Amino acid sequence: MPREAELSLNEREFLLQALRENVRLDGRPFDTFRNVELKFGEEYGVADVQLGKTRIVVRVSCDVTAPYPDRKFDGIFNITTEFSPMASPAFEVGRPNESEVILSRILEKAIRRSSALDTESLCIIAGQKCFAVRADIHVLDHDGGLVDAACIALIAALQHFRRPDVTVEGENVTVYSLREREPVPLAMLHHPLCVTFSYFHSGEVVLVDATLAEEQVRESEVIVTMNRHGEICQIAKYGGSPIDAVSLLTCTSSALGKVQALWKYIQEKLDEDAKKRDAGGLMAELSAENAR
Amino acid sequence: MPLDTSTYSLALLRLDGRRWNELRRIHAQISTQAAADGSSYLEMGNTKVICTVAGPAEGRRGAVGGGSQSEMRIEVEINIAGFAGVERKKRSRADRRNAELSHTVQSALESTLLTHLYPHSTLTLTLHILAQDGALLAACINAATLALVDAGVPMYDYLVACSAGSTSASAAAPPSSSAIPGLGGIGGNRSVGADADDPLLDLNGLEEQELPYLTVGTQGDSDKVVVCVMETRCHASRLEEMLAVGIDGCKRVREILDGVVRAHGKKMIENE
Repeated sequence: MPREAELSLNEREFLLQALRENVRLDGRPFDTFRNVELKFGEEYGVADVQLGKTRIVVRVSCDVTAPYPDRKFDGIFNITTEFSPMASPAFEVGRPNESEVILSRILEKAIRRSSALDTESLCIIAGQKCFAVRADIHVLDHDGGLVDAACIALIAALQHFRRPDVTVEGENVTVYSLREREPVPLAMLHHPLCVTFSYFHSGEVVLVDATLAEEQVRESEVIVTMNRHGEICQIAKYGGSPIDAVSLLTCTSSALGKVQALWKYIQEKLDEDAKKRDAGGLMAELSAENAR
Repeated sequence: MPLDTSTYSLALLRLDGRRWNELRRIHAQISTQAAADGSSYLEMGNTKVICTVAGPAEGRRGAVGGGSQSEMRIEVEINIAGFAGVERKKRSRADRRNAELSHTVQSALESTLLTHLYPHSTLTLTLHILAQDGALLAACINAATLALVDAGVPMYDYLVACSAGSTSASAAAPPSSSAIPGLGGIGGNRSVGADADDPLLDLNGLEEQELPYLTVGTQGDSDKVVVCVMETRCHASRLEEMLAVGIDGCKRVREILDGVVRAHGKKMIENE
């Protein structure tokens, strides 16, 4: 199994020395994200996020299946991750490496366990039919910050996705195609976003959104997932060098600001996209939320 | 399974009769397995873990993957016994939850052990979880620490972990004084239920299902956090008290573990 190319000693020294002098290699301030660029596809539920050189595409899709027998009133929601070998030579198809396991676990905890998507709203007939929503995360280019970028892409894609409208009459379910009826957005309860903090020089330097090079040199990382209401959905510090408890608290408060700014950006992009789709101004009339 | 934790605010006693800052019983033994280089058995309440250490030894030939060869590699294997939980479940080896757990123990140990003293070698830890009743990660970390002490692997300090939670106002609806007028009167100056979100130390399995909680791991009795894992949603304002209670718990766990190690050492000297 090939490994990620390690930084040479010189590069390592240079990066650390620069950080000691309060300079990042790409000239960013310590507490800013790289440029986030979010694009939506032609179809509903496709989001393409570029965070610096990192690029992630998420595709959300759904179909109708039977719910799990122990969860009759819930729909099904699954997140799968795939690291494409074109992103990095260290990624192999079909053999999840450690970072893939961590990414999928973090997203699982951040989005699924915090019940960002209301799975009960995916139920059609209790115990018999429900929607199974599936989000596929594809990492196309890897330059650090995978968790943050994947989370942005996933939330944007879920918010962008529309499921087909259904009507239930007794035991009969009619699923309307996109042509017949305007599809329905998913019921999102809140919008968690991840912010990764990287620690250097035994906690003296804290970076937001580290690049791959910085990730390879860092001493420890803290991944904080919050929504814009100030609720923490997940914190993960798996190990690494010891840090002050107080610094964890400052992480959460600065994460809140980042999350609010990111969500505002996603919202803007979603509005932009909605406007583009609403060609004749008919959307309001067609909306499935109107009374029939 | 909704569980009624709202009684807490009435008596300030938890489901198992503990106060907010009480640990469960911790019972630990070391050198339990003669064949292993180091081993330990740890009970935190009803959570029971056996840990064995093999190595540091030459790594498997053709062993793949990470880490430079100038430092010791740490491999952690976690086995959750089928009978550990309430219902018998078959777990696949590629369980991601399990993988995350072992990744946490492994990377926490990497910063605690003096890995640079053993280049080109591998340390293998095997954790068997015999019974599960909350604080699984904390129990794994504590058991690993004891087994490593037994194996004589040099480390900076004990790596100890403990879980802490918060009685959330949303889960345990604060009983307004008008709802229970009698109690409000008896309570006198202590307003019953006003402080609905007390921090709790060392949650058991039932409490973990109900309340937001986190697991903190510290190095020795310093205030420095090595591990902090929170998986449940809770408001950011609760984090501070949960962390404070957790770190305080870690210090007490350290004393207990230290006592176990010293007692074992004493016994060894007497036997010789």
